[in-house]
Amino acid sequence: MKPPPFDYHCPETLDEALALLAEHGEAAKVLAGGQSLVPMLNLRAVHPEVLIDINRLPGLDHVRIEDGELRIGALARHRAVLESPAVREASPLMAAAYPYVSHGPIRNRGTLCGNLCHNDPASEMPAVALASDAEMMLQSASGARTVGAEEFFTGTLSTAAGADELLVEVRVPQAPAGQGAAFHEVSPRKGDFAYVAVGAVVSLSGGACSGARIVCAGVGDGPHRARAAEDALEGAAPGEGAFRQAAAAAADSIDPGEDFHADADYRRDLVRSLTRRALADAASRCH
Amino acid sequence: MTRERHYIPESRQREKPKSKYFAIGHSMKRVEDTRLLTGSGTYADDVSLPNMAHAAVLRSPHAHARIVSIDKSKAEALPGVICVMTGAEAAEVTGPCADFSSPPTTQHCIAVDKVRHVGEAVAAVVAESRYIAEDACELIEVEYDPLPVVVDLEEAVTSTGDAVLHPERGDTNVALQRTITFGAVDEDFAAADLVIERRLRWPRSGGTPIETVGATAHYDRGTGKFTIHANTSMYNYVGWLIAVSLKVDPHRLNIVPTDAGGSFGSKLFCHKVCTLAGTLARAAGRPVKYLEDRIDNMTSGDAHGSDRLYDAQLALKRDGTMLSMRLKVIDDYGAYFQYGVGQHGNAMAQVTGPYGITSVEVDLTAVLTNKCQQGAYRGFGSEVGNFVIERLVDAACEELGLDPVEMRRKNLIPKDAFPYIMPTGNMYDSGDYHAVLDEALGMIDLEGWRKKQAEARKEGRYIGIGISTCQERSVFSATEFWMWNPNETPGFTLSSSPESVSVNIDPTGKAFITLNAPFWGNSPETMAVQVLAEKLEMDPADISVGYADSDKGFNSSGPGGSRFTVMIAGAVSGAADVIREKMLRVASHMLEADPSDLEFRAGSIGVQGVPGKEKTLAEVALHAHYFRLDLPEDHDLTSGIDAAYVYDHPVTTMPSEDRSDLGIFYPIVGHMCHIPVVEVDVETGKVDFLDYVAVHDCGTMVNPMTLAGHVRGGTVNGIGSALYEHFHYDESGQLQNALLSDYLHPTLMETPVDIRVGHVETPSPFTEYGIKGGGEGGRMGAPPAIAAAIEDALKPLGVKVDSLPLTPKVLRGMIREAEANGGG
Repeated sequence: MKPPPFDYHCPETLDEALALLAEHGEAAKVLAGGQSLVPMLNLRAVHPEVLIDINRLPGLDHVRIEDGELRIGALARHRAVLESPAVREASPLMAAAYPYVSHGPIRNRGTLCGNLCHNDPASEMPAVALASDAEMMLQSASGARTVGAEEFFTGTLSTAAGADELLVEVRVPQAPAGQGAAFHEVSPRKGDFAYVAVGAVVSLSGGACSGARIVCAGVGDGPHRARAAEDALEGAAPGEGAFRQAAAAAADSIDPGEDFHADADYRRDLVRSLTRRALADAASRCH
Repeated sequence: MTRERHYIPESRQREKPKSKYFAIGHSMKRVEDTRLLTGSGTYADDVSLPNMAHAAVLRSPHAHARIVSIDKSKAEALPGVICVMTGAEAAEVTGPCADFSSPPTTQHCIAVDKVRHVGEAVAAVVAESRYIAEDACELIEVEYDPLPVVVDLEEAVTSTGDAVLHPERGDTNVALQRTITFGAVDEDFAAADLVIERRLRWPRSGGTPIETVGATAHYDRGTGKFTIHANTSMYNYVGWLIAVSLKVDPHRLNIVPTDAGGSFGSKLFCHKVCTLAGTLARAAGRPVKYLEDRIDNMTSGDAHGSDRLYDAQLALKRDGTMLSMRLKVIDDYGAYFQYGVGQHGNAMAQVTGPYGITSVEVDLTAVLTNKCQQGAYRGFGSEVGNFVIERLVDAACEELGLDPVEMRRKNLIPKDAFPYIMPTGNMYDSGDYHAVLDEALGMIDLEGWRKKQAEARKEGRYIGIGISTCQERSVFSATEFWMWNPNETPGFTLSSSPESVSVNIDPTGKAFITLNAPFWGNSPETMAVQVLAEKLEMDPADISVGYADSDKGFNSSGPGGSRFTVMIAGAVSGAADVIREKMLRVASHMLEADPSDLEFRAGSIGVQGVPGKEKTLAEVALHAHYFRLDLPEDHDLTSGIDAAYVYDHPVTTMPSEDRSDLGIFYPIVGHMCHIPVVEVDVETGKVDFLDYVAVHDCGTMVNPMTLAGHVRGGTVNGIGSALYEHFHYDESGQLQNALLSDYLHPTLMETPVDIRVGHVETPSPFTEYGIKGGGEGGRMGAPPAIAAAIEDALKPLGVKVDSLPLTPKVLRGMIREAEANGGG
């Protein structure tokens, strides 16, 4: 379990990093926390010719609220995000999901942005990003662009980021006042990738549910938004009946894959029960 | 049944259990800890020799295929590559791997002509670094001609032709089929009021050590001698068989043990890796290190555990009296058969459990399939037997409407029946099973939990309580490895399966103990120190411990089968007797007193009844080392104080010719009672532990703290077997979870907050101080108890637990099915 040979670059500035990406493109992989990339290298599941280590780039490890958005830089470690009061204030959903993200040692090195770029279908944060209308701030040597979460996650282990682009920051709009959020997950063991995870946010308006977002991880080729379930909930009085109905709609909305850990029936069962639980918790947290 | 053959040899116990000990029975901190916890251990990968090269192995992606051709030219051309060996080339200089089955299956350290499981070695590269070696593996081109793949154990029974793995053993994948009947099975079944029948599936899992198997080999062309540093066990027992594979005389192979760490049986012998490293070192002309990576270890470590399907019957009277059992079992051994059906020999030691059952019939079919072969794994086959009998007992309780505790109480062998000969002929040396049960019941608030269970059910929550009362045989005699062989197979006579130590007293009166088997993750040094301290009334801090290589070692079977503490206690005790006698002789001259008037006092030897008339151990030792000639003439008294002692198996007898009686072969038998309380989330299939009590009786405890550690660790291990662990092969023979990210062990987060451990001490009348083995216990008791607890939790749904592991998907599937059938 040793990686195949690669060239290693360790740029000191963002411009240098982007120039290297422009030069090497598909042949390069960006090394941030390395918590997914290094095991894949050691398993020889990837054979990049070049690694561009961005760990020395200055000013990219921020977690802060600015202009009504939570902004998290490319080098913010999971640990820093998890412990940030800004996250608890601006994104209760992300705060609720973070305890499920991996194990302590991995959180110390791994980055949120790297996690989003890896887009493992069973990963929590792409689902949170999708539910939150997060925006991905991509930069390349030829310019910058913003891509919404909806377009960013394009399939298993793939995103809309170009081979020459670096995700320098993710921006999450501040959650509306009064919105309740909850995140439920079943994984084989604490900290493992989810069999299924469900995140939900909901607001109460005049005694009725409104603006719900329900997202699932572990059910397909990337984060999944259960729109039918959200629609079923819109205008409904919060309660077991409405949550069950929405949960059933969520379960119907997925076409999950099978592996030896979890078959499709099991994943559907989990979406149903976790959606119901998440909605109940989220509604109870509305204020 | 007749008991004529059932003689019990006289006990050779010399040290009787005592009411008060000097060092034994104290929860002394482990003497291994400082070395290991400060990173000062030397594990297999810590070995580094001058000019050492590194090896990597190219592994088969096919489960069953002929090797048509291998083109290694590109790999050989890669800068930094020293040599590349195919199986055919290796077989020119090295013979097949050691194998204990009869007739043997031929396994080579690199496959020759044919691969029989995914991960089998096809070629090996030696290079300047492991990196280059792995790069070179990617450049080797192999053409395969796929053969039919056999993964299902029932299909394996009937496969023929190209699907046969070892055609030289006949046109079948059945490696061994035999039925043995012990006692009056037919009569007992005829007398039964009812017969409980269950089809039970025990899944393939295995001991997955933190460090995989590794060896660093050096071949000295000048002397023609190999030196192999490896994390192997049994190197002073059957290590010479590696020399046979390497085609040198055993004295031309020195195996140097490294720290092996916890391996749970998986490093019992590790002959293949040693043989491979030796072969490569000789070919490369340089020392070569080969350490399995995780995939190597999981796919080809030769250490998968039992993989069994049982059709099991228990015959009972209506009042719950258990009469007899019939077990029909198919066991999937994988692609080779290194220990034969040793695991079923093992299971025969306690197949009827702690119950007064008088007859049993076992119909065993061992099959070969395209999987990694079985090896040793904590329990070595007996843990499966415990699961089977406990499931039958619980099923009988359900059927008869009996309480699981009272049912057990009724059938447990009473304490006045020991030593007890069970139906297969094995002996249970001692026990007080009812005391263990009562101790466990005293530790858990059964009534309170039943109340909480009832309340929870009203809220739609599912709490369950399980119980297991199980045997833990310890101190194997090698009979277990061959007793099932066909009668015409050349047999063995009675084996001694010994363990040895040597003890040297230094000139200042302090001691050094040499063990002849490796550090295996248990506490052998602590055990040896406590026993020697007991014998010599010496401060444990004045004793240190090392490990002999095979050049200097004495015959030692090593850890395995929960024997090590018992056996080194015997060996240390024997060596200490020699030391004591010599020290007394020297002291008697120094004190001008008769040796019989002397006594050991803490740190000195003195004249009984005469306070102050004494010599310290240091004074005696110094005199013995340097001033022997100052002492009066004393026939054969020589300088120094040293002893080596070989302790043979304490009590074993031969099987009968027809095997209707297997003799005494696993006689030092402990007992346990596990009571877990679980809650099942019926929507997700997840299981939580609310409480856990485990009471063990392992005879006299040398160190209650380390024993409790064994029990807790073993229980977590058993939780893994019950809920998480399973080598999952798909239909094409691909191992789906050859990484620790997919092959799941329970972590601290998945285990009970506190596994509450209790002890009962029923000393063995056959071992020194009455010690019994305790290393495998937790894993042997937890799975049936957890299965029972889950079944109890889901009783309103009518869910029955017949197979493991109960992963969330599996459990949720069973609940879904029960719900669809109107349960709940």
